[in-house]
Amino acid sequence: MIPFELVEPRTLREAASLLASGDPAVRPLAGGTAVMLMMKMGVLRPARLVSLRAVERRCSEIREADGELRLGAMVTLSALERSPIVKNLAPVIVRASRTLSNVRVRNVATVGGHLAHADPHMDLPPVLIALGASVTTVDPEGGRTIPLETLYAGYLETALRSNELIAEVSVPVQGVRRAAYLKCTTRSADDWPALGVAVVLDTEGDAVREARIVVSAATDTPTRLSAAEEALRGARADEKILRRAGEAAAAAANVVGDEHGSAAYKRELLRVYLARAVKQALASKG
Amino acid sequence: MKAKTAQTGTVGQAIPRTEGSAKVTGRAEYVHNLQLPGMLYGKIHRSTIAHGRIRRVDTTAAQALEGVHRVVTGEDIRAAVSDPHYGPAFHDQPILAFEKVRYAGEPVAVVLATDPHVAEEAAARIVVEYEELPAVFDEVEAMTSKAVVHEVLKPAGTFPDLKHLQGRRNTNVALDYRLRRGDVEAAFKKADHVFEHTFRTQQVLHVPLEPFVTVVEPGESGVTIHTSSQSPSFVRIEIARLLGWPENRIRVKVPYLGGGFGAKLYIKLEALVTVLALITRRPVKIALTMEEQFYTITKHAATLRIKSGVTKDGRITARACEVWWNGGAYADIGPRVTQKSGFTAPGPYDIEHVHIDSYALYTNLPPAGALRGFGIPQLVWAYEGHTDMIARALKMDPVEFRRRNLLVNGRPQATGTVMKDAAIDTVLERAAARMEWGKPCDPGTGTIRRGRGIAIGFKASISPTTSVAIVNLYADGSCALYCGTVDMGQGSDTAMAQIVSEILGVPIGSVTVVHPDTDVTPYDMATLGSRSTYHMGHAVRLAAEDARDKLMALTREVGLSAETAPIRDVFRKKYGMQAGNIVGTGTFIPTYTPTDHDTGQSANVTPFWMIGATGAEVEVDTETGQVRVTRLVNVADAGTPINPRIVETQLSGAAIMQLGFTLSEKMEFSAGQCTNASLAAYRIPGMLDIPPGIENEAVESAERGGPFGAKGVGETGTFGVSPAIASAIEDAVGVRLMSLPITPEAVFRALRAKQGNPLKDN
Repeated sequence: MIPFELVEPRTLREAASLLASGDPAVRPLAGGTAVMLMMKMGVLRPARLVSLRAVERRCSEIREADGELRLGAMVTLSALERSPIVKNLAPVIVRASRTLSNVRVRNVATVGGHLAHADPHMDLPPVLIALGASVTTVDPEGGRTIPLETLYAGYLETALRSNELIAEVSVPVQGVRRAAYLKCTTRSADDWPALGVAVVLDTEGDAVREARIVVSAATDTPTRLSAAEEALRGARADEKILRRAGEAAAAAANVVGDEHGSAAYKRELLRVYLARAVKQALASKG
Repeated sequence: MKAKTAQTGTVGQAIPRTEGSAKVTGRAEYVHNLQLPGMLYGKIHRSTIAHGRIRRVDTTAAQALEGVHRVVTGEDIRAAVSDPHYGPAFHDQPILAFEKVRYAGEPVAVVLATDPHVAEEAAARIVVEYEELPAVFDEVEAMTSKAVVHEVLKPAGTFPDLKHLQGRRNTNVALDYRLRRGDVEAAFKKADHVFEHTFRTQQVLHVPLEPFVTVVEPGESGVTIHTSSQSPSFVRIEIARLLGWPENRIRVKVPYLGGGFGAKLYIKLEALVTVLALITRRPVKIALTMEEQFYTITKHAATLRIKSGVTKDGRITARACEVWWNGGAYADIGPRVTQKSGFTAPGPYDIEHVHIDSYALYTNLPPAGALRGFGIPQLVWAYEGHTDMIARALKMDPVEFRRRNLLVNGRPQATGTVMKDAAIDTVLERAAARMEWGKPCDPGTGTIRRGRGIAIGFKASISPTTSVAIVNLYADGSCALYCGTVDMGQGSDTAMAQIVSEILGVPIGSVTVVHPDTDVTPYDMATLGSRSTYHMGHAVRLAAEDARDKLMALTREVGLSAETAPIRDVFRKKYGMQAGNIVGTGTFIPTYTPTDHDTGQSANVTPFWMIGATGAEVEVDTETGQVRVTRLVNVADAGTPINPRIVETQLSGAAIMQLGFTLSEKMEFSAGQCTNASLAAYRIPGMLDIPPGIENEAVESAERGGPFGAKGVGETGTFGVSPAIASAIEDAVGVRLMSLPITPEAVFRALRAKQGNPLKDN
């Protein structure tokens, strides 16, 4: 590791300007958990890191606005886990956060960094996509809103430009929707998952009106499973329907193998975990 | 603190660890914290290929980087040290590679700079051109492969049983150990049933949380080596041999270690850093990263074939074992693993006809050495899996089948050595009792199936080895123990202080343990193989008794009452003031009879036996193959514990370590390059992976040869874990896993294969 420059701008816009050159050796630094791993492996050799630690305080705030949950990009994962507002508006996020990596990572890793890193093994992207979240970005000229579902372009790739930073995440409140996130780790309990499945259900009685289902970790990007959603729409989620949804998911998803399991195995896991996630969502109080 | 010492009752008590408070408050001393004026940091450039000739080492770009003090290559080392090869069994490992590299990750050059980041950057700018050679990675293939790792075998000469290998060419076999007892072939012919199975274990890592670190300070006439080592005496002797110096010019100092587990034995960084300090005449420090540990020393992968002849009423009459140990590119202590553990390959069973072939193989992988059990966990994995499978095939209860064949005191082990003070039967019975083996086990319902398994293993202490200790009694009645045992977290400081406290009748707080410093502390073979409590414990006892006897003599000489006079009064009367010392010394080496080269027979192969059994209860998810260990019962014969609490934590620590080796840990390789060399990619168990029920018991036992009836315990908890879990999985879902680690995918694939619907990769 060669010595690098660390700059600490006071605003997100200033940070975006510092990144405007597009030089791959100039990168933003939030919690630093992923950046440090990449630097240790030698795949990232920065000349300058733009720290986001000193940007506007509101970037670290969790609030409710316009019927939505708003998460500042610099909110830590442990703040998310402990927030009464999040627990109230989207309890599935709190449940997912508790199983996310380990407490040391959660204490420093941030929501914005977690989403922008675009490692498909991250836990929150599938949960937030299933809830219908979007991100607001800042760049030197202004910014835009991107549905989270369209943020991911590939393995470690996003639609964000090099001078564009996530400022805030807007999450429609969970409300009466029933939701669950299940993941499968195959080595240690706090390992990255072999598979993650997030499910958010609009229900009517014991029937599913609408389902949003997202798979992660087994695919290059977090992916909506529309065929499985279709199989559940308007149906009672009995064993037969769940099996059909699982088959549809396994057939449609572009599952890839990695150190956590082969593609063939992960496809089997997807069938099983999809059904279990739907059952757990239905069993939850919302 | 009367001159006539009374037993304090310290031995046998769960005294809190004497260094515990310093460690948890961050005050304990480690080599990583050491900085010296003018010190250079070294960073290593490593081989990127598994096997090849070095054509050229281009250091121009590295040398040109601002702040670089010097770049050192293998040729520079060769100019400074005429034969720069080291190793405990073979002199085969170069201080830095020259002419050839033999594994991906092997040190090829070092950059020295006052800023470690500059050194690291410069090391990345070194360019090495290789001519690639065919490589061999599999231990069984290495027996016959055309790829040969070393042109010629160079045994160190330390061990007589390696002498026959001197000068052998065109072979990867670093030791071909054999044991012959009775006539297995005839016994197989007569047996009612013959069973044969092949098991495999994977290459894994020690993962001490303190990575390897060495600092060397050149002095006027010698060097001081500060190092995170389990074997300071060996380091001194081996460095002296390499440099052609007398021992007294080399001083080796070892503070606390942040874990060792067998990794930090023999020479690791010490030879390299010493030569760098001599070349530059500056203090030099090399501290490896966690990632670099994967390229330093590992645990042997092994292939084990085991065959048994059994009578219809369940008596094992013959057993043949073939073991291939994947030693990697340098022998390290692998040939001793092959022999010293190899002779227990048939397990703790009373078998008339035994045949063992155990091979140490060179391959083009990172070297393998000692790791908490010295090969025993690999052997137990095979013989207990095999034993359990035989019991199931004969429709016998697995515990009852073991009972019928157990080796008991008074009966000869496969080497011919008659068992003594080995509570094999008690350990098995206590494990079975704690598991409530007689009662049926809840088989589970739906997709969660439950099962249980039990396994037992044993280990002979390595022999013969020497320990020396000095007790220095001060004039106020407090004292110091000079002892070469390295406290790497196992609690030896506390146990040794307890022995001194007990014999001198002084409180434990009055005993200081002086850490290894070869200018001060006397010789100790090494802190390895669970030998310290027995060997050093003996030496410490003898040293304390010597001091006590001298104190008694002095008390009589000055005319005081041994019954009532405080120790300080004895010194004051003798020297007229608070002055003087009483120095007691103790040396211990057990008796030993070498094994016969052709038959492996010996009447006295070990001073003591360690026995460990584990019972496991598991839940298997039949839809995913995931295994949850819900209960782990570890039972050991540790003799009579000096400190029962430390014995308990040694058992649970060892079992949890082996749990990782059983379920998740595996070094992955691609063309010989380790692809998961980091804590992020190589997963050791975390707190959430610890079984909810974990129980540890040291059975009532006494080792008559040991100090206060004690014997070693550091490795015992590892023995039975892996096969107990595999047997519990078979009990739950009817599939037997014969390769480690037992991943959820492996279980899932076995379940699908059993259903006649194997998982297809597409």
